[in-house]
Amino acid sequence: MGAFQAWLVQTLASVDLVEGFMRTRWGWPAMESVHFMGLTLLFGSIAAWDLRLLGVAKRVPIAAFHRLVPFAVLGFAINASSGSMFLMTEPDQYIYNRAFHFKLMFLALAGFNVLVFYLTIFRRVRALGPGAPEPHLARISGGVSLICWIGVIICGRLITFYRPDLCGAAVGFLADCIIR
Amino acid sequence: MLDPFLLWLESTAFSTWVRESTSIFAFPIILAVHTIGLGLLAGLNAALDLRLLGFAARIPVVEFRRFLPVMWLGLSLNVISGIALLIAYPTKALTNPVFYLKLGLIAVALSILRMVRRRALTEGAMPDTLKKLALASLVCWAGAIAAGRLLAYTYRRLMVDF
Repeated sequence: MGAFQAWLVQTLASVDLVEGFMRTRWGWPAMESVHFMGLTLLFGSIAAWDLRLLGVAKRVPIAAFHRLVPFAVLGFAINASSGSMFLMTEPDQYIYNRAFHFKLMFLALAGFNVLVFYLTIFRRVRALGPGAPEPHLARISGGVSLICWIGVIICGRLITFYRPDLCGAAVGFLADCIIR
Repeated sequence: MLDPFLLWLESTAFSTWVRESTSIFAFPIILAVHTIGLGLLAGLNAALDLRLLGFAARIPVVEFRRFLPVMWLGLSLNVISGIALLIAYPTKALTNPVFYLKLGLIAVALSILRMVRRRALTEGAMPDTLKKLALASLVCWAGAIAAGRLLAYTYRRLMVDF
């Protein structure tokens, strides 16, 4: 894992696409602002969708709420782009950062949850009329999604408190983190 | 003029704890809670604004009142966490004009939400001015977010004697 992380840091550092901009006086702060706006768009649209899956605003067919999902995707695209800019500028601050590892883990879980949702019950849920009871799987999917995105936000916010130079460069990946 | 007050506030036990404790539940988690509150309040408000602008048109606007309790939860989280962060670093915020800009933008965004709640979420009216209000709301929240983020880069004094 150590060799893989070192390779990743080196590879990301070798990309000179955004570093010039990010190192200007306001480059990094501006992208942080964009990242938080993307967070708001993503989390707001997905929270409305998840709450509907959990049974809030029951009188509205779930299909109507699905029109909010493209905005969640837009928020995600904004944050994947701005996030990559941080990563490419200071790769070692993220690759060796425990909080970042957990953020990636929650992101992966959220992605897996979405995949399962669309592969299993999406068609059934989309056909539901107003007031119909949500299938258990839909409720579980909404709950898991909310928890995952809250996890992403918490871990993302904690990144700055787990900078690797504070705890030694030899910090390993997830497994070591849990043991510590 | 403000300095004696700031000095006193910074010396209180709570301020010192939030600022200096190595516990993750001090500054880091308070900051994380502040971000979750932002997501709940501004995020759901953004979804409502998008609906008022004509997206997801099959959701009846009045149904967004079901999300109001969650938005108030977000607001409560952020008032509490915001006050805690302010007590931790009062000089940093109160001597920075950007902090007042942030508060002003939040105040405008919240009064827009009140107007929208009264007109669209209670009376069910959909006048054209609602679209303008929705747009203004999005701009205010985006501005408040940017101002909030820039607080970390624009302060002139971190603490009274620092």
